[in-house]
Parts: sequence; C-alpha cells; structure tokens
Amino acid sequence: MSSPPAPSPRAEFLAGSREVAPTLVGTIPFGLVTGVAAIAAGLTPVQGVALSIFAFSGIAQLVAMQLIAVGSPVLLTVTAATVVSLRLLMYSAALAPHVAHLDRRWRALLAYLMTDQSFASSVRRYGEPGDHPHRHWHFLGSSFTLWITWQVAVIVGVIAGSGVPTTWSLDFVVVLTFVALMVPVIRTRADLAAGIVAAVVAMATLGLPYRLALIAGSVGGIAAGLAMEFAHRRKR
Amino acid sequence: MTIWIAIVAVGLVTFLLRASFIVFADPHRFPHLFRQALAFVPPSVLPAIVAPGLLVRGDTIDASFGNPRWIAGLVAIAVAARTRSTLATVLAGMAALWLLQWLMG
Repeated sequence: MSSPPAPSPRAEFLAGSREVAPTLVGTIPFGLVTGVAAIAAGLTPVQGVALSIFAFSGIAQLVAMQLIAVGSPVLLTVTAATVVSLRLLMYSAALAPHVAHLDRRWRALLAYLMTDQSFASSVRRYGEPGDHPHRHWHFLGSSFTLWITWQVAVIVGVIAGSGVPTTWSLDFVVVLTFVALMVPVIRTRADLAAGIVAAVVAMATLGLPYRLALIAGSVGGIAAGLAMEFAHRRKR
Repeated sequence: MTIWIAIVAVGLVTFLLRASFIVFADPHRFPHLFRQALAFVPPSVLPAIVAPGLLVRGDTIDASFGNPRWIAGLVAIAVAARTRSTLATVLAGMAALWLLQWLMG
C-alpha cells in the first residue's frame, strides 16, 4: 500500500488560507477599529499604517498608540508593547522545532507574519501525522491571509477614522475584542486567579502615569498564577 | 520625530519576540520557571486591559448602574464563554451598550 503523495506547496498554502478564513470576521472589524483608534490617538494616517506594518499586532498597536497619545517616553511605550506581546515569545518557542530545517530568510518571514490565529492553525497542521515536507507553506498561507486582511482593514479604518461620530461609542469595540480574546485563555483555576488579581491591581494602580497600571496588573497576575500553581503542587 | 522612533521601536520588539526562538535561539534551553510565567501572560494581560475599559469613565472609576459599559461587558463575557466567537461577542456587547445608552437617555 502506497501513501498518497504529499500536498504541493500551493495546496498547503491554500489550505492554510482557507483554514483561517472564518476568523477573518473577527480580524476585519478589529483592524477597522484599530485604524480608527490610531487617528483618535492623534497619529497621522501614514503613522497609523506604518505602526500596523511594523508591529502587525492589534494589541501592541493599540497599547502603543494609547501611550503615544498621552506623550509617554519611548522606553515606556516599548516596555508596555513588549509586556502585551510576550505571548509571541511562547508561540515562537512552540513553533521553532518545526521550522528549524528552513533557511534563515524563511524563518524570519514566518516569524514576522506569525499571529495568534496563524500560530493556532500551524500548530494544528504540524501536529498531524504523516510526512508532509511543505507544511511551512500552510503556515505561510494562513499567516499571509491574515496579514493582508489586517493591513487593508487598518487602512480603511485610518481613512474612515475621523468620520465616525463619537456617540456610536465605537471605541468600546476595542474593549469587546479584548473580552473575546480573554475569555478562552482563562481555563484553569490558576488562570482565573491570575486574571482577577491582574484586574484588581490594574484598577488599584490606575493613578500611576503613562498607563503603568497595565504593567503592574500583568506582573501581579503572573505572580498570583505562579503562586497558585506552587501551592497546588505542594499539596500533592 | 519621537512618534516615529516609538513606531519603529515597537515594530522591532514585536519582531524580536516573534523571531526569538524561530530565528535565533534553541527552544530547549529555556528556564522552566520562565516558561511557567509565560503561560500566565495571556490570562493576566487581558483582564488588566479589559477591567479599566469597562469600569473607567473619563478619569474616574464608575461601577454604578449609571455606567452602561461594565453591564454590556458582562453580557459580552457571557456570550464569549458560550460562543467563543469574536464577532458574536462584539455584536452582543455593542447591542447591549446601545440599548442601555438609549434606556438611560
């Protein structure tokens, strides 16, 4: 019995692209809102689009533009963007073994394009049994589809930016997209403890300048999560 | 000019975080405690962003029934828990907010 031939690069690319298509209904409004928010934060349209191309991360972009808007020092803006992007380090560690055989240019390209959704779909594809030498094209297909959709949505948002009346409270869409990201990542009791402590610390430190409350809350939450895990292990 | 420096620097750190292991490092040489701490980043960062987004109006904390945002936020959390859908969460949250704003006049 011979196994079927491995899918071609083209077939892998298209499969990756198709796999993330349903998530675009979330990507498009998030991108639009991020574009609108860039203008609201006082960035020029060119700066808003440049930030999107350089950072290519909704959360990093939103946090960065909030801090730029209140005139915080560059070092603090970068620190806050780093804290909210630390999950990318986790994704990078998880995917690294699968792409280790590729040359450096390929790896740099895939790294630049990697997002929450393309990470999820690539991890799934790499976990499938069988010999599939072109799976990095699946990674590229999902990532590139998300990249182009995001950039177009941000550009449209930047252009529409000033036209949306404030009574629509469209800024609330940003908070809601964070709610949609937040709920699925809280799976264990330790996650819940981390989340509650992070929220309480962030609220208690709101008086700090330059939105340092975000960093204070995050650090408090991580410490609470780790403490829960150690306490749990000692009991056993 | 400062804005441009911030834009490029934020781009650089997000790329370096993504590239860290994929391009530069060996994922097996990674301290255990650090890995555990990283696992708590998403459940910590997101509530630290969401809580002020729901409870702060202007410059003050408002957890009263006169603030429609946290009530609409609870609706969104319930919908997110049930559907796991970004679109459904955003639509339900905005519908709740607009309804509450209309009811409160």
